[in-house]
Amino acid sequence: MGKYIVKRVIAAVITLLVLITVVFFLVRLMPGEPFTSEKLNPIVKENMIKYYGFDKPLIVQYFQYLGNLLHGNLGYSMKFTNKTVNYIIGSTFPYSADLGLRALAIALAFGLLLGILAALNRGNKLDVFCVILAIIGTSIPDFIMGAFLQLVFGIKLKWLPVAQYTDFKHTILPSLSLAFYTMASVSRTMRASMLEVVQQDYIKTARAKGLSNLRITWKHQIRNAIMPVITIMGPTVAAVLTGTFVIESMYAVPGMGKYYVDSTNNNDYSMILGMTVFYGAFLIFCNLLVDILYGVVDPRVRVGK
Amino acid sequence: MKSTRRFAAGAMAILMAASMAAVASPSTAVASESSSAASSAAASSAASESSGNKLFRFATSTEPTTLDPTKGNSVADNEVQRAITEGLVRTIDGEINPACAEKWEVSDDQLTYTFHLRDGLKWSDGKDLTSKDFLYAFQRLIAPETASPYAWICSTAGIQNADDCMSGAKKPEELGVTAPDDSTVVITLSNPTPYFLSLLGSSTVFCPVRQDVVEQYGTDFAATADKNVYSGPFVLSSSENQVLVYEKNPNYWNPDAVHFDRVEENIVADASTQLAMYESGDLDYVSIPLEQTQNYIDSDEHGSYENGNDDFMYINSGSEDQPLLQDANFRLALNYAIDHENYIALATDDVYKAATTFVLPEVSGTNGKTYGEQYGDKLHAFPKNGDADKAKEYLKKAMDAAGITDPSSIVLNVTCTDNQDEKKIIEVVQQMWAETLGIDVEIKQITYAEKYSTVYPQHDYEVGYGGWSPDYSDPYTYLELFRGDNPNNYSNYHNDEYDKKLATTVTETDPDKRLATLAECENMLLDDGAVVPLQFREQHYLMKKNVTGIKFSLGAVNFDWCFGDITA
Amino acid sequence: MSRKKNVRMPSGEVVPVVPDKLDPELFTVVGRNTARMESISRPSLTFWQDAWRRFKKNKPAFIGMILLALYIILAIFAPMLSKYSYTAMDAANRNAGPSLVHWLGCDDTGRDIWVRMWMGARVSLTVGFFAAFINAVVGAILGGLCGYYGGALDMIMMRIVDVLYGIPSLIITILVMVVVGRGVHTLIIAMCIIGWIGSCRFTRGEVYRLKNQDYVAAAKVLGVRDFIIIVRHIIPNIMGMLVTNLCMAIPGAIFQEAFLSYIGLGIAPPNCSWGILAKEGIKLLRVAPHQVLFTAFFICTTMLSLTMIGDGLRDAFDPRLRGTE
Repeated sequence: MGKYIVKRVIAAVITLLVLITVVFFLVRLMPGEPFTSEKLNPIVKENMIKYYGFDKPLIVQYFQYLGNLLHGNLGYSMKFTNKTVNYIIGSTFPYSADLGLRALAIALAFGLLLGILAALNRGNKLDVFCVILAIIGTSIPDFIMGAFLQLVFGIKLKWLPVAQYTDFKHTILPSLSLAFYTMASVSRTMRASMLEVVQQDYIKTARAKGLSNLRITWKHQIRNAIMPVITIMGPTVAAVLTGTFVIESMYAVPGMGKYYVDSTNNNDYSMILGMTVFYGAFLIFCNLLVDILYGVVDPRVRVGK
Repeated sequence: MKSTRRFAAGAMAILMAASMAAVASPSTAVASESSSAASSAAASSAASESSGNKLFRFATSTEPTTLDPTKGNSVADNEVQRAITEGLVRTIDGEINPACAEKWEVSDDQLTYTFHLRDGLKWSDGKDLTSKDFLYAFQRLIAPETASPYAWICSTAGIQNADDCMSGAKKPEELGVTAPDDSTVVITLSNPTPYFLSLLGSSTVFCPVRQDVVEQYGTDFAATADKNVYSGPFVLSSSENQVLVYEKNPNYWNPDAVHFDRVEENIVADASTQLAMYESGDLDYVSIPLEQTQNYIDSDEHGSYENGNDDFMYINSGSEDQPLLQDANFRLALNYAIDHENYIALATDDVYKAATTFVLPEVSGTNGKTYGEQYGDKLHAFPKNGDADKAKEYLKKAMDAAGITDPSSIVLNVTCTDNQDEKKIIEVVQQMWAETLGIDVEIKQITYAEKYSTVYPQHDYEVGYGGWSPDYSDPYTYLELFRGDNPNNYSNYHNDEYDKKLATTVTETDPDKRLATLAECENMLLDDGAVVPLQFREQHYLMKKNVTGIKFSLGAVNFDWCFGDITA
Repeated sequence: MSRKKNVRMPSGEVVPVVPDKLDPELFTVVGRNTARMESISRPSLTFWQDAWRRFKKNKPAFIGMILLALYIILAIFAPMLSKYSYTAMDAANRNAGPSLVHWLGCDDTGRDIWVRMWMGARVSLTVGFFAAFINAVVGAILGGLCGYYGGALDMIMMRIVDVLYGIPSLIITILVMVVVGRGVHTLIIAMCIIGWIGSCRFTRGEVYRLKNQDYVAAAKVLGVRDFIIIVRHIIPNIMGMLVTNLCMAIPGAIFQEAFLSYIGLGIAPPNCSWGILAKEGIKLLRVAPHQVLFTAFFICTTMLSLTMIGDGLRDAFDPRLRGTE
């Protein structure tokens, strides 16, 4: 396992480098330029191109970028002209991560619970309820779910604050809105996976041996059924923790999500790259963790062999 | 079977608790990090509340692109700087007021302005504010190395050598701004610019900047609130976590005019969220999103103002893909096919004002009157309800000239970006053109980033939405858009007669004559169908009854809260 | 304990059997029936035939299929049969609620929502099915190969997956649009470029789980070719999970389309899709909530029917349920 991890870490660094290279050159192919304003003057534009070093050959710019990256310097944003990408990520990530972790905790706890209960009670009312909840969760997008929760609990009932992210009360609505989709997909995946497992021979064997139901569910069913959930969690964790545009802007959470979308809309090259590096590293780490977890959960699984 | 379920439920409870516990530990770690940020914000708010109790809270949807006064690039940037910087003069509600300059003289040829600074001007850190700070600000603005996106405004203001300094052909020191002594600033213009003072008073890029502070922080200057010093009625005490916090500047020259002790500007991207925050008492002022305006129009906290934004359709008059657009008859057909009243109902829910002429009538005219009051009835405005017959007539003429017999064979491409308001405008216009003229109107989508960086400047479109927010209150800012050599002439309009006429207004020193010529210019555009005017925006807002003294104006600053007050 | 049973004679006559006393008279010699002794009493069914047989018997799945078919028919015919055009605006009917004239009301420019709903369904259902289906197939095949062979192939493929996942999807879509132009096909291509990744990783994980199972080992020992093992032994076992995953991918594709259309990369107005209707509707939540509610209703019921179909398929494909009712 140790050797495998070392190999994967080396691969991760190479992957990240490839990712940076691909994105570095791809963003230059996008239509439009970073300096866009209805009042842009051609001389001013020339000055700005020089200021950001875009007049140099692309390959020089690329190695300069890599050089800066080695020092952990992601450069200055082109839209938010005097802020560094490092500063923007550093000041917004804690909020996105905080919101993401709360949402993940809710999503996993309730998603797994509902999925398992639905599978164990297949076909009766509880199952139907769980399935319908899951369908609503996966088919109603976050912008509708968020707006409804905000309207009902924030504006109409006035139970919870409508926006901003300061204390616990303010975190409830955004984390619920964000958790809903993940919760629904976790519960659906868990239910389907449990149904597969329930029919396996070793469950029958365990039951024949006279093991208690609790023990069968805990030791045999959940452990065997959780793998697909782990698989979908890899990218989900990376996506949820690095900020979500819709929920953050709806609840005025000062997170990263808005910069991720804005940077592409504005062709803000350094910001796109900075976000990609950060998100990419996070994603690669999460996927590595998933592959390692496979082996922990099910010792028969040997990823990479 | 029953027992199975009970046991299973028990197992789930345990699992749930375990998973909660497992995720809880990292969650609290990050939570403590962010809550410490939150608590420090709370601490500072508590501190300020003890120093004074007049707190004003509002929201804005656009995050300022910079906190550096010289690099401001938008109305949002300008509105921030307006509170924390003080220029030579300050335009309040359209009036020019003395600010850092106590008085000023204008030479007879209107080319030299001499400003005399007040005694005892101070920066927020207590150091003296002198004419050197102004000189430095102007030179920094124009220097190519600074790459200020708004450097061109020096040229609009008519400051001598602005274009050459901007391109680097001349040194920034050669710009027509000098500081003969510590309390005098002299600005030399290359042509009489009637709107010079109005521009100086509303554009914060002309505000003073401290050289030693800029050099101390280098490229990080003004990156955060603590990396700058302030000259305006307020200082910026925090810019963290999407909230800009302003506090009264004790060193401001006119502290009696400043009433708010603390102002919080919340950056909230979602307009409905802003409204919800206002309704739950988290804000004292909020702009109402267009689609909800009608619900609040009868509220006693409701108000509205014209922000000067003019929306219209650019026509690429030199289009080679659609040669019909080169024909004034076709362009007029497009104009007459718009039923403005119906348009306003469909596209703006009856909120905005229909535009049947191009220049905003509310811009300044002469003798204290607006341009619209003086020339409104002399302009060749398009009919309020359009004129379908006339439109068809013009279309017929254009088709005859081009040898086209079937209108449905004409395919007109309309570009459209992702902007929601723009999309709706274009859908309505498309429908009107297709219905009235019987031509095939197709929407071509482009991304926001390419619109003003490649598509419009390279005239790579046929018809597309345009908007213009004036930097100063004068018809020239709109009419200049159709000057042949203007880089912002996105409509590719070239008319020598128009250019000549417009050029005379630059050197004309008699304001009445100048305005009359500008009105003639606008008529030329309208007669030529060079543009399809659509609407003048009207911003509706809600404001708590106890807030007074807030000014609204068109131009570089729309929402001017600096000298507002909260009455008991 | 004595058991009493009746015996049905070949002639059809029912004779009570008394165990203690068996009368040889009761028996007749029928001889050998060579025609029947080698035959199989039930028709021989392939895996797919059996799956279809079981699917047909699943009531919820069948209802789901009928609902979906109804939606598809409405999407094709409803706009043709309505007297309203999906582009015709009417200032007097802005945000009008549902009525006998406009069944689902009107939008903020007075366009009939019923017609727009089904115009939108055309785009959304096409994009949703196509994108999700292609993704699932491509993803399942690639994921199956990665998981089964592992090693270098898996390492390289998964790193490609990491890179593709890391590139902001917006950039990919914009670039696809530059290359192939705009339209529904662009959306499908762009969504396919990155969409297969999810199902690829998912299938790979499942295959890792299954490939060390005894029946796979048994097949290997018997010398079954790898391809057959994947297709006959592994895929059927993960089919249920795959179908569930596919069903969740469809709403994802529908909303991805809405997001892309909204940033100017999808279909051009005045065309619409469910995603666009939902996005436009949510702005009017506090003014005219019916727009978003109707759209959400149709999306949800489509998903409901897809889920029921998916569950039916899951059961139908389950090898352990083969031959059962």
